[in-house]
Amino acid sequence: MFPRFSASPPAPAPGAAPDLTRRRLLRNGTAAAGALLAAGPLSGCASPAAADASALSVWDLFQGGDGMLMDDMIKAVSKGPQRFEVERTILDWGPSYYTKLAMSAAGGRASDVAIMHLSRLAGYAPGGLLDPFDLDLLAEFGVSQADFAPAVWSRTQHDGTVYAIPLDVHPFIVFYDKEAADTAGLLDSSGELAPMGSPEALLDAGKALAKATGQKGILFGHVTDTAQTWRQFAAFYAQTGATFTLPDGGPPKIDVDAAVRVVTFMQQLFDGRTNPNNLDYNGAMAGFIGGRGGMIMLGEWELPTLKKSGIPLGAARFPQVFEKPGVYTDSHSFVLPHQENPDPARRRQAHRYVAEMVKQSLTWATAGHIPAYQPVLAEPEYAALDPQSSYADAGEVAVLDPPNWFAGAASNFQNRMCQPLQAALLGNTSAEKAVRQMVREADTLLRQPNPVA
Amino acid sequence: MTTTAPPGTDTVTGPASDRPGGLRRIGLKAGRTAQGPGLVFVVPFLLVFALFLVWPIVHGLWMSFTDSSLALRDTAFVGFDNYAEAFGDPDVWSSLGNTVVFTAISSVPLVLIALAMALLVHSGLAGQWAWRLAFFAPYLLPVTVVTLVWTWLYQPELGLANQFLDTIGMAPVGWLSDESVAMWSIAALTVWWTVGFNFLLYLAALQSLPSTYYEAAALDGAGAWRRLWSITLPQLRRTTALVAMLQVLASLKVFDQIYILTKGGPNGSTRPVLEYVYDVGFTGYRLGYASAVSYLFFALVIVVSLVQLRLFRQED
Repeated sequence: MFPRFSASPPAPAPGAAPDLTRRRLLRNGTAAAGALLAAGPLSGCASPAAADASALSVWDLFQGGDGMLMDDMIKAVSKGPQRFEVERTILDWGPSYYTKLAMSAAGGRASDVAIMHLSRLAGYAPGGLLDPFDLDLLAEFGVSQADFAPAVWSRTQHDGTVYAIPLDVHPFIVFYDKEAADTAGLLDSSGELAPMGSPEALLDAGKALAKATGQKGILFGHVTDTAQTWRQFAAFYAQTGATFTLPDGGPPKIDVDAAVRVVTFMQQLFDGRTNPNNLDYNGAMAGFIGGRGGMIMLGEWELPTLKKSGIPLGAARFPQVFEKPGVYTDSHSFVLPHQENPDPARRRQAHRYVAEMVKQSLTWATAGHIPAYQPVLAEPEYAALDPQSSYADAGEVAVLDPPNWFAGAASNFQNRMCQPLQAALLGNTSAEKAVRQMVREADTLLRQPNPVA
Repeated sequence: MTTTAPPGTDTVTGPASDRPGGLRRIGLKAGRTAQGPGLVFVVPFLLVFALFLVWPIVHGLWMSFTDSSLALRDTAFVGFDNYAEAFGDPDVWSSLGNTVVFTAISSVPLVLIALAMALLVHSGLAGQWAWRLAFFAPYLLPVTVVTLVWTWLYQPELGLANQFLDTIGMAPVGWLSDESVAMWSIAALTVWWTVGFNFLLYLAALQSLPSTYYEAAALDGAGAWRRLWSITLPQLRRTTALVAMLQVLASLKVFDQIYILTKGGPNGSTRPVLEYVYDVGFTGYRLGYASAVSYLFFALVIVVSLVQLRLFRQED
């Protein structure tokens, strides 16, 4: 009668339903408090960092393992003669983070540096909620445009001005059980997942994996989730070569035929037999960890959780099944939230902080994220990271949300796109109807007056 | 005769027999003394009341006539634009509809089950304290705990609910993923979680019923059902009015458990109007429009309250 998995469900991803966040917040809040207290004696600072008005205030949304790594990176850049005094504030990931960030910037008294998903830039930069970066100043501290992948760098700008410096690229990928994949004959000669190449190949792979595990093939948790189906749809849709754009005032520009083709394929893939179609996020995680599926479609940020499970874990770029390579991603980036009267010396420190932090990307990569700072990718230490290096090239074919003020991570847009997609996957509606509803929802959002410009 | 009477009404040993008959009224001689010193004590309350209730209500009303944004300082007066938009917004109507459906399917069982539980416990079942604890305990849990537990119960593949259906040979149900089922699942959770409060109100009322009526009825040979219909339920009318009123208002305000459990899904089928207000105002920054939707909802709540008040007053 009782489920066979451990009583403590896996921690949600950035973008997963904010279940359990209270517990995570408590745990990490305690950790952060500990870190803050520890930072005092470590840096030889007499007063706690939080009370120091000269400390650089930074906001982020990293909890759990990511939060700990962020602490490590801050500690690393705080050492040495030119150390930083950093006052870190961790806020709960999700829509509320962006609400708070917008409010603090609108009030003009924001933190010196904050983390933002690159997909949200279009909602912040045009309305003046962000201050631009000074690229000359960054270059002075050893970081320039040439250090970043073009696919991601192109999204850091508004009207030709750079408003964000990317820390990572975090794609939606597949994890797989190496033994099951081997039995199913899906591995290449080097023991990595072989490319798919066609919709049929992925459907067959699902069947072969189901056979190999004796249970299910590919797992995907999407029920009651407000981002997962959109991530999957966006990846497959980009692979068809079609574009999805949201011009102000509407209507949205969507290739309806391509979208229907993609949703139909998603329905075939998650048919409810070889691959279950009714899992929620935690259910899919628990299923994969419990060996009840051979592959799972997830964000790479779940790597630490999956690694702990002890399954022979492989990871690969999101499988290309249509004409063009395309991987849905987002990017955690540093931004300068708008301040009414920024102190030039502090601004200079903020630039130096960002430059030093991106150079710490190797630490960040241990959580599974692909460093946006390219010099790190070339280091042998990064190549040695397994399975991170097997999807490291995902950043080159990165597909982000169509830019508009209401789109991006944790947005109403993603939620509204997920609702019809979920209905289609569950078999409650047809692919055509789901796509029509997506177009309608996007159109409704586009017709709203823009509240940030 | 004692063979037909429930133990609770037994004239010698029943728990109700030692209660004082009727409610005592304490005559307060208010209004005759000077109000000067009393006012000083009320001022702190009035200040808090004005600051955190009156002012937001007035300010919210003003915002509903502007294009106020969470992310901008400048606002412009837009007249009735927001209201016009709200009236034409299908999401407002669908979320209002969801709120009304939830109120209907949750309030009725929350009143009836609470009454049934209170009658059962009051009838003198053995282990009174255990029943009271069992019925009331879920109410003490915070919403996050309740929804997390029920999320796992409702899990499509691994959840206890579907595993149970499986063992008795029934097909699994998409508790949170089936558009026609999800709202019922949430109502079931809500009933389990909050029925204890209504149960307690009913129990208190039952315990204050005068035992003399029952003694007289027992002498006249009235059976248990007759006493329930002719004495207990009529005497509970005021309590029922109160419980129903509080329950309808509480159900109309539903937000937390739905937001945590389904985010208003699947496909918007459980999104209550308050979640729409939250989505539009806080995730979408459009405070002015969100205020207008709130005020439309506020108007609805007032109408519902007035109608209810009227109904119960007529009954009295």
